[in-house]
Amino acid sequence: MRLFTQFILRPLAADKMRTATTILGVALGIAVVVAIQLTNASSIRGFETALETVAGKTAVEVVGTGGLDEDTLPSLNWLREYGVASPVIEGNAALVIGDLETLSRRDMEAVRVLGVDILRDMPFRDYQLLDVGQDRDTAVETAAPRGTAPPAPAPVPNVTTQQFLEILTDERSVVISEKLATRRGLVIGSQLRMMFGDRVNSYVIRGLLKNEGPARVLDGNFVLMDIAAAQLAFDRLGRIDRLDVLLTAGADVQGTLAAITARLPPELTAQPPSRRGQQVETMLAAFHANLTALSWIALIVGLFLVYNTVTISVVARRQEIGTLRALGLTRLKVLFLFLGEAAALAVAGIGVGLGLARLLADAAVAMTSATVSTIYIATAAAPPDLDWGHVWLATAMGLPLSLLAAAVPALEASQVQPTAAMRGNDTLDMRVRLRPAMLMAPLTVLALAFGLTQLGPVNGRPLYGYLSAFAIVIGTGLLVPAIMYGLARVSREALRRRLGVEGLLAHANLTSAIPRLSISVAALSVSLSMMVAIAIMIGSFRDTVVYWVGQTLQADLFVGPGIRPTVGQEPTLSPTVIEAVRRHPRVTAIDSFRNVDLVYEGKLTVLGAGTFSVVLDHGAVLFKSPANARDRVREAIGQDGVIISEAFSHKFGKREGDTLTLPTPKGLHGFQVAAVYYDYSNDRGVVIMDAGTFRRYYGDLAPSGLAAFLTPGSDPELVRMEILATLDEGHRAFIFSNWSLREEVLRVFDSTFAITYALELIAIVVAMLGVAGTLLALVLERRRELSLLRLTGANQDQVRKMVIIEAALIGAVSQGIGLVMGFALSMVLIYVINVQSFGWTIQFHMPTWFLIQASIAVVIATAVAGIYPARRAAQLVLSHEE
Amino acid sequence: MVLAVAILMGVSMAGQAPSPRPQVPGSEPKAPWKDATAGFAHVFPRDHASHPDYKIEWWYYTGNVKTTSGRRFGYQITFFRVGIDPAPANPSKWAIRDLYMTHLAVSDPSGRRYRYAEKLSRGGPGLAGARTDRYEVWNDRWMANLDGSRHLLRASSPQAAIELTLDEGKAPIIHGVNGISQKGALAGNASHYYSLTRMPTRGSITVDGERFEVTGDSWMDHEFGTSFLEEGQRGWDWLSMQLSDGRELMLYQLRRDDGSVDPRSSGTLVGADGKTRHFDVTAFTLTPGQASFKSKNGAVYPLEWSIAIPSEQLDLKVTTPLADQELSLERSTGVAYWEGMIDVGGTAAGRPITGSGYLEMTGYFGSLGRVLSGQ
Repeated sequence: MRLFTQFILRPLAADKMRTATTILGVALGIAVVVAIQLTNASSIRGFETALETVAGKTAVEVVGTGGLDEDTLPSLNWLREYGVASPVIEGNAALVIGDLETLSRRDMEAVRVLGVDILRDMPFRDYQLLDVGQDRDTAVETAAPRGTAPPAPAPVPNVTTQQFLEILTDERSVVISEKLATRRGLVIGSQLRMMFGDRVNSYVIRGLLKNEGPARVLDGNFVLMDIAAAQLAFDRLGRIDRLDVLLTAGADVQGTLAAITARLPPELTAQPPSRRGQQVETMLAAFHANLTALSWIALIVGLFLVYNTVTISVVARRQEIGTLRALGLTRLKVLFLFLGEAAALAVAGIGVGLGLARLLADAAVAMTSATVSTIYIATAAAPPDLDWGHVWLATAMGLPLSLLAAAVPALEASQVQPTAAMRGNDTLDMRVRLRPAMLMAPLTVLALAFGLTQLGPVNGRPLYGYLSAFAIVIGTGLLVPAIMYGLARVSREALRRRLGVEGLLAHANLTSAIPRLSISVAALSVSLSMMVAIAIMIGSFRDTVVYWVGQTLQADLFVGPGIRPTVGQEPTLSPTVIEAVRRHPRVTAIDSFRNVDLVYEGKLTVLGAGTFSVVLDHGAVLFKSPANARDRVREAIGQDGVIISEAFSHKFGKREGDTLTLPTPKGLHGFQVAAVYYDYSNDRGVVIMDAGTFRRYYGDLAPSGLAAFLTPGSDPELVRMEILATLDEGHRAFIFSNWSLREEVLRVFDSTFAITYALELIAIVVAMLGVAGTLLALVLERRRELSLLRLTGANQDQVRKMVIIEAALIGAVSQGIGLVMGFALSMVLIYVINVQSFGWTIQFHMPTWFLIQASIAVVIATAVAGIYPARRAAQLVLSHEE
Repeated sequence: MVLAVAILMGVSMAGQAPSPRPQVPGSEPKAPWKDATAGFAHVFPRDHASHPDYKIEWWYYTGNVKTTSGRRFGYQITFFRVGIDPAPANPSKWAIRDLYMTHLAVSDPSGRRYRYAEKLSRGGPGLAGARTDRYEVWNDRWMANLDGSRHLLRASSPQAAIELTLDEGKAPIIHGVNGISQKGALAGNASHYYSLTRMPTRGSITVDGERFEVTGDSWMDHEFGTSFLEEGQRGWDWLSMQLSDGRELMLYQLRRDDGSVDPRSSGTLVGADGKTRHFDVTAFTLTPGQASFKSKNGAVYPLEWSIAIPSEQLDLKVTTPLADQELSLERSTGVAYWEGMIDVGGTAAGRPITGSGYLEMTGYFGSLGRVLSGQ
């Protein structure tokens, strides 16, 4: 132990810069991985917590596509044999805070609205009424002004179910959580405005709920309504969202679930409430998996640093190792000494990394929550706290991997021959001389990488795709020394001519340091290649989307409700708004569409209804197959034909001509696939049927959006304003012009990939730290040479310039390797990983200009990373004359 | 007649503050519910069915039955319909026009058991309701309906269940005068009220999962109206009985806040031939005796009553084989009342007479004042 302290810890403490860089590198790697874990957890956790909070004691729920037809409820009366059933309407509304005129999505606060028949629902959830507002007239008069705290409500211990019902009966009555009331300065009798879809309704607060049970959802943003009022508010007359079932005490949940399932008609499903959480988890899995994979890049680069540091440590102390061995230290102990060094670095890195993780997670959540909530689910945008699980994860990942990274140099240290090392004629050059064997290993790995791209997904995950990318990274990494030797041979003259003696010296220094440098260059290349790959992938993707948007967004105006749709919640447009659009003299055609959640083969997908004829006439869909898709789709009108998105086709292996069996309120029914179309808005998979077909099977549901076509020459912006002006104050719609919707699509697209760039940037920063650390080590090691240089007439500027040239050369070489490797990786990303995770066809597009800019930036950045070592080099010579 | 329950529910719901939906200025809201007025002509079986124009309506069955081995049971099932809003503004089927409440109770004197259950539902999409075209009233899976001339009663809960078939027996008799039974001083405070007084009954009764095949006699009340009690009326005591001489008797006495007997108390005696005789408050006395039952909620119910109808030379003593027959629903509706099987003994014109029936005592728990003041 004393030996460890003296031999390992002291040098680590002495060489603060290198130790700090390594620890920071590991820490960033760990932090990124843990932060992504936290971020991924936060998006699901928000949904699942809300789900559990509202589910209460519900053990089983009965759900159907687009909800349940309420008239089927009497036929489900047999559920009584298993317990109590309570019909539920649940959804999000927006609390309208400010002035209606200047209302934007930012001025609204999301609230969870639960509509139940309290007569049945009482035992399901923990409702604790604080005050039922006996004297309502007085309450109205004494309503506290906004911002002031209302008097604390007195608990009402003996509210009967009937009294509870009384305060909810009216369609404009609500009961809200005490927390929300306090936060907003509301009292019993206060008015409350809420927006459902495109409708702004006024309600009167009739009671307050203690912050227990469902009232805890969304931090107290909970509104309880009667089921009738909720149906009206959400425009779901005739339907309920689900039937919650509370089993008779002592019932076996699994057994009962099976029994209920056996008796339900096929279009209905019985499931535990947590199933919805699992479905959302599955839906987000691909998105999360890609973030996780990306976060590992930073960790791998961090581990390169560990390898680097331990290698340098071994190289620098061969003589001392020799001495120790001569003094009787066993090989095993030498091995453990250096593994100990790696462990010390890892532990410190993990400690710092966990601290950083929380900060990064906040940033990452801020970056991803917009994506997740735009594309997937409304989520509470706060990451969960770090727990022991995360500490364990960081340790279980960081420590063994660090030891693995250090194993090669540590093993080598244990192989040191005592006598040779002590004499000093045991050099490292032996290890890295260019030999055919050095090419064999990387080429084999690269061949393997290619082979892996030919394999299909595993459980819908591009497992082999990830492995292939990993193999490219490893293969190229192994190839780095060979590439550098090759470059060294061909670049000597060029450098001398262009950069003079400093260039020549830099070339000589780097060439002699290739064994040590390869690691840094490999690390930097890997992170740069990921940047290149991602830039190519996103550039291609964005290009594809721009093309797709151009082809499919044909309408002049797009009208949607004021609330974003999320899983299980499809806000709708009311007839008033639709009429306002239809009546405008410049509107020639409208295509309304409606989406409902569809659980297909256990996975959450989307079932949409659109007007096929309008779609065909206006070319608003880009078909993938078959070749005569338009004719096939026209034939499908009125024939129960559907079109499916590429993602759906890919996910479920369906194509034109196949039949989908879908649950409808009229039982299971087969729908023939007429065509497959491109859709980059949704990776869940979409099935679209003609509006008429949809109505026949799923009833006349209010549309969730519509597209309007204008007479040629109209000013969409003007029409938009005119339509909005005709809406009364009870209706609010969001209307996008074609141009602004395209902007919006690209804005969403770009925000989706912001996190990708951020993660990449971190990996590059880590790699830069590696470059700086390596250069510094080289400088320190070359004290004698540098002194000699100064003695032979080199001035400080020349030394500084030489080191900066070295740094820039490293950057240039790394970026060169990175470009090639990145191109290969982007192929894997575009043609393997993306296709297998999301089912998207992306047209390859090289973002040339971006790559040129990035390459120049990298060379400059590495040169900048060389400034500190360069200054140290220039100073060292003066202060350490030897 | 089971008035208390319906009144409690109906009136308190009516006390609801008006909704904030705009009212057209100058248009007075029309009287939403129909009053029970004199001259109503009952027609059967039509009037077994529901009368949704009236605010409050109930179908009430009680019976004394026994097994072949002679073990006695009593049962009560009452379907209430209480109008909340005759035309809800909300087109949702879940909008509450009426509330349906059903009480089921089974008495087992030899087992010292009294078991009860309730259902409280809105109509919703067919969850509870009462048909107008024929007699069928249901609440969840509990149901009373007419099959030909037979009344079928079915209700089941973990504690108690009944499955009974009732013949109509004697023809329906109309209570009160000129088709209405007056309950208060105001003209509209009345109801249309008829009874089937001796219905041969057979079927099964289940107590705590133990099923018994039984036969016996039942009594049915069907009453509907809009406004019943008035301020100052605290509760009432009501009895129905089948006497051994083939006659049946119904009496009720309204109690006022000051303890006095309300002048609207009345009764009906049904002869063996089905002819009826109406009694007003002056024609009879109904006096509590010493024995009483004290409920956990503090209510004290007299368990012995003396009835004297001098004009008929009837002197009857009412006792019960089971003290605790209180139906207490404090959590759901805040209602508690005593409703149970009774034994009758005494003399008719000097000759010994026996009988059995049901006694209902309301207004012993809490006060009707709060809700009544809403009217």
